[in-house]
Amino acid sequence: MVMQMDAAALKLVDFSCRTGAAPAFPYGLGERGVHEIAAAGHGDMPACAGFAFCAGLKRAGPGAIIWVSEHGRRRDFGFLAGHGLAGFGLDPGRVLFVHARKPREALWAVEEAMGCGAVALVAAELPGIDFTASRRLSLASEARGVPAVLLLGPRCEGATAAAARWRVRARPSAPDRWDPRAPGHPRWQAVLERSRTAPGAAGRTHDLEFDHETLSVHMVSRLATGASRPPSPAAGDGGDWRETG
Amino acid sequence: MAANRAARTGGVVPGLGFSDAMARLPRLESEEIDRAGDRLALRRLAGWMGRYSPLVARHGSDGLMLETTGCDHLFGGEDAMAAEISDRLDALGLTARIGLAGTQGAAHALARAAPESPAILAPGEEHDGLAGLAVSALRLEDASSRLLRRFGLNRIGQLYGVDRRALARRFASREAAEAVVMRLDQALGLRGEPLAPIRPAPAHSARLACPEPLLHREGVWAGLERLLGEACRELAWHGRGARGFRLAAYRSDGSVSCVSVRAARPVRAPGHALRLFGERLDEIDPGFGIDLMVLEAFRPDSMHAGRPVLSAELAGHTLDMHEVSALADRIMARLGEGAVQVAVPQSRHIPEQAERLVSFKGELADWPARDGAGADRPLRLFARPEPVEVLAEVPDGPPIRFVWRRMARRVARADGPERIAPEWWMEGGTSLPTPVPVHEVATATTRPERDPSPSGAERAGAAQPALSATHRAAPAQRAVKRTRDYYRIEDEAGRRYWVFRDGLYGDGRGGAPQWYVHGVFA
Repeated sequence: MVMQMDAAALKLVDFSCRTGAAPAFPYGLGERGVHEIAAAGHGDMPACAGFAFCAGLKRAGPGAIIWVSEHGRRRDFGFLAGHGLAGFGLDPGRVLFVHARKPREALWAVEEAMGCGAVALVAAELPGIDFTASRRLSLASEARGVPAVLLLGPRCEGATAAAARWRVRARPSAPDRWDPRAPGHPRWQAVLERSRTAPGAAGRTHDLEFDHETLSVHMVSRLATGASRPPSPAAGDGGDWRETG
Repeated sequence: MAANRAARTGGVVPGLGFSDAMARLPRLESEEIDRAGDRLALRRLAGWMGRYSPLVARHGSDGLMLETTGCDHLFGGEDAMAAEISDRLDALGLTARIGLAGTQGAAHALARAAPESPAILAPGEEHDGLAGLAVSALRLEDASSRLLRRFGLNRIGQLYGVDRRALARRFASREAAEAVVMRLDQALGLRGEPLAPIRPAPAHSARLACPEPLLHREGVWAGLERLLGEACRELAWHGRGARGFRLAAYRSDGSVSCVSVRAARPVRAPGHALRLFGERLDEIDPGFGIDLMVLEAFRPDSMHAGRPVLSAELAGHTLDMHEVSALADRIMARLGEGAVQVAVPQSRHIPEQAERLVSFKGELADWPARDGAGADRPLRLFARPEPVEVLAEVPDGPPIRFVWRRMARRVARADGPERIAPEWWMEGGTSLPTPVPVHEVATATTRPERDPSPSGAERAGAAQPALSATHRAAPAQRAVKRTRDYYRIEDEAGRRYWVFRDGLYGDGRGGAPQWYVHGVFA
């Protein structure tokens, strides 16, 4: 009995800590609630997945990660490759892929997966979601304490009950230190369109860069992301490095 | 031809020619035999006979064989069982003849030739019981039984005393004589005969007969709960769990509806199995009423007591595999077999074969710790590489511009090539989608077929584009494995792709190489 009381008290303390502190960058993405990550354009779906992995899914606690994908998404954007996942510092062995034929089935699978005690996080890629479905998923997520990340297409605009919505687009990558002609660390622009956990942060634009070596995400200043064209091979220290190296 | 009872009393016997039959019975009504329909009806009846025994086999074109050992006590003995089967089939409008004996051959003979319909022989009585029946009841070929009749051997009992070697001499072929002896031995139980049931015998089964036919889902649900409780208790008693359950609802109108569920790991928790059925129970149609439900448990396996693995705890992820597989079972019960998959690494070089998505079988895949090759593999791969039109420098420059999914994209940065040669030590090729020849022409016209490499003599005019297009369309040529050069490229919007050129210029394995998009980076 005493043990149980302790556990409850601990949970409360934990909860107060979490709500008391000012929410920092991912604003609860992958930690609690349902978060939507919408693509800015049709070709930005892979960028959404990348952002989800490096910002959100790494925060998932121990347990299985359920990746639900609707058939059309899987056909259009390919399946998640285990070797690619490993590149994001995620153990592909923890991921269970659920293949749903219809969006309805995918939503059902997400809700079902939230009810499982061994699941740390549920991610789903869907063409879109309506208010009722997102409300239902939010309630399930709150009740079971399993976070969910929904990857949505570019046409997802309307109001939903999700905790936050991100809008992600791919940005030209960082210049490679050793080869100016090669793509460097991937960069994304993530706009927090709305957020219930951090309403003050809504509308903020984050320019992010992912480092495969250290498996960390950096904020990049606007200035650095402005360049869409690679510097010419002759200029800059990149060329020098290449020659001496 | 076949004949019903009324026709047979008029002198028409099965096997008679049509004109003879019309001569004997001018008022005869005839219909074309619907053999396919008969087969289907017999198969349906075989499914329904599962209510009497789990082992039902089709027997010839017009018979069913049931292994009733251990089943008759459910109906109050063999006589009562035979009577009930006879009554039930009568009520369904089927004329049936029933023979019950210790061997298949004897049962067959009784059903075909015994004077009364439920004819029952106790085990060991075959010798005397069959003696008075006609030889044709022994499952012989027509020629053989005709020959035996010509010798005056009309009854099975007359065969008992015949010298077998003398019998063999009478027949034209040794096989025909041996067939007669074999059928006789099988009927008498001197030689074994296996039964080939339409469905394998379940490991455990539980049955629930309903005094009133069930018409509603609630009733089925309650019955299923009871059956699962019973089956799981039995599984627990044996210390096992089952990987599959099958619920058969036998309707009073002679049809069956079945639902099967599968589990990734052995299950014996009634609650879990009930949830699996819950997704599918609507498939059971009560129709005019269900009067018998049978639950069968398949593929039993020993259960491992739930204990967390210490190494898993040390490794940082404590996964309760029972919970995970319970979830996978529920999802697969609703979304279909194979809806839950895990990626399993393979020690192969070809990217699409470096991992395999397999259906979840209760185990997670073991991936090696990150080997540092992460950044150069895309997050998403296409199941089949998609052909693209590419403008690239010949022979091995990265793409400058490419058209993928009808959108032209200009390449801002590129890295590569990463050359992946075919695995010559593996059998079989990796077949790529057949490229449309238009693509090849496009490449050929953008870059005239001039050879900048010094090894031009080696290919000696082998690569005329027009010729190559026809060559590669041929199926024999498609299986040719070519070296691939992979490039990581980024377009002006910052979208990153993984493209490859299938083949080298002048490798002598077909025409000009074709380009493909294989995946996209995050």
